[in-house]
Amino acid sequence: MNIQEYISSGIVESYVLGLADEAERLEFEQMCARHAEVLAARDAFEMDLEQHAIASAVAPPASLRETILQQLAAEPVAANREVAPVVEQEKVVQMEVTSRPAIPLFMRYAAAAAIILLVASAGLNFYYFTKYREFSQAYDRLLAQQAVLAKNSAVLQTKLSTYEHTVAGLTDTNMVAIKMNGTSAPASPDRSSLATVYWDTRSKDVYLMVNNLPQPETGKQYQLWAIVDNVPVDAGMLDMANGHVMVKMKNIPRAQLFAITLEQAGGSPTPKGPMYVLGKV
Amino acid sequence: MAIALTYTEQELVSLLRNRDNKAYAYLYDNYASALYSIILQIVSDGELTNDVLQEVFVNIWRRIEQYDATKGRLFTWMMNIARNAAIDTLRSRSYQNSRKNQSIGENVDTIRVTDVIQPGVDTIGLRKVLEKLKEEQRILIELAYFKGYTHEEIAELEKLPLGTVKTRIRNALIQLRGLLK
Repeated sequence: MNIQEYISSGIVESYVLGLADEAERLEFEQMCARHAEVLAARDAFEMDLEQHAIASAVAPPASLRETILQQLAAEPVAANREVAPVVEQEKVVQMEVTSRPAIPLFMRYAAAAAIILLVASAGLNFYYFTKYREFSQAYDRLLAQQAVLAKNSAVLQTKLSTYEHTVAGLTDTNMVAIKMNGTSAPASPDRSSLATVYWDTRSKDVYLMVNNLPQPETGKQYQLWAIVDNVPVDAGMLDMANGHVMVKMKNIPRAQLFAITLEQAGGSPTPKGPMYVLGKV
Repeated sequence: MAIALTYTEQELVSLLRNRDNKAYAYLYDNYASALYSIILQIVSDGELTNDVLQEVFVNIWRRIEQYDATKGRLFTWMMNIARNAAIDTLRSRSYQNSRKNQSIGENVDTIRVTDVIQPGVDTIGLRKVLEKLKEEQRILIELAYFKGYTHEEIAELEKLPLGTVKTRIRNALIQLRGLLK
C-alpha cells in the first residue's frame, strides 16, 4: 500500500474521530511522524471537522457559562499537575491502603495525659497572669498613695518645724519684739495693719511675723526695711503665702526703726511705695 | 467580554496549562457551543447535555497536561473528550434503565435505526451529514461514533463479519469526509 492509498483508506477520519483501534492508532501516529503527507491529511481533516462543528454549533443555556467557569475557578490546581500519561478514558485509580504501625496503648494514654496537662497548664497560666496583673495594678496604686502621704508628711514636718521655731522665738528671752502698726506709719493705706519684728539681740537675726496686712495686688510685694541712722536698709522680701508664722529675714546688726512698704515684686533698692506699718526699736 | 482576544493554539494550550481563568473563559466562549452540539447529538437531552458539558470542561481543566499537540489539534482532543463523556453518560443511563426493565441487554440484537437515532437531533452536525449516507452505512456510524460500540460489538450486533463492518465504516467515513467539505 502506498502513502496515497493509506491516506484515502479512511484511516485519517477513523483516527481523528476516535474510531480506530489501538493497533491502528499506533500505526497512524508512526505514519504521521514519518510522512508529511499523512500529517497534512490529518491536519486538513481536523480543520474540516472543526469548521463543520463550529458551523453547526448549538448554544448552551447562557447561565451555564458562569456555572462552569466558577466550577473551574474552584478546582484545585496543584494536585492536578501530576497526572498519568495519556489515557483514552479515565480510569479509576485504586487508592493504596497504607497501614500505620499500631501505637502502644500506654503511649496513647501518655499523649492524652500530656494534652490534658497542656490545656490545664494553659488555663492556670491565664489565671495566674490575670492575678499578677491585678496585684501589679494594686501595688502601683499603693505606691502612688504612699508617695502622696510621704509628701504630705514632709509638708507637715516643715510646717511643724516652722511653728516650733516661731514658738521658740516667741519664748526666747533674748528675742526683742518690735510691734509695727499702721497708725505709726505716716500715711498707711490701711491703718489696721500690724506686723511684728523679732530681733535676736545676740545673732542680730531678724524674724518677721505678719499679724494683719492686706493681700497685695498681683505684681506687688511687701518689703521690710530697717531704718539705720535715717537710711532705709533692705531687710528682705515678704512672702504672704507663709501665713502667721515667724519668717527669717536678713541679718540687721543695728537699726532704730523697722517699716514695711509695698513695692514691685522682687523688691526695690530704696523704698518707693506706700508705707503700711512702722515700729520703733 | 467585548474585547475579542485571540490566541494561537500554542499560546492557548500554554495558558490552559497554567490554569489561566481568562483562557478558560476564552475556550468556553469559542468552543462551548461546538462541544455542546457534539454532546447533544449523542445524548439528545438538553438537561443531560448541560451536565456533560460541565464535566467536559472539568476534564479539560484536569487533563490539559495530557494533551499532545503532535497527535492532533486541541479541538480534536476536546471533541473526543466530549464524545467519550457523552457516551459514558448515555451508557450509565441506559444501564440504570436496564435495571428497571431488563430490555437493553436482552434485546440488544433487535436494535433498529429508529431505536438508536433520537428524534430532533438529526438535523445538526454530523448527524445531518449522516442523513445523506446509505442506511447500512448510517447505522454502522451511528453505533460506532454516536454509541461508542467497538467494531467487534457491532459485528456481533449486526450479525456481520468483522471485516465487512470495518470496510463499511471506513467507506462511510470517506463519504462523510467528502460531505463535510
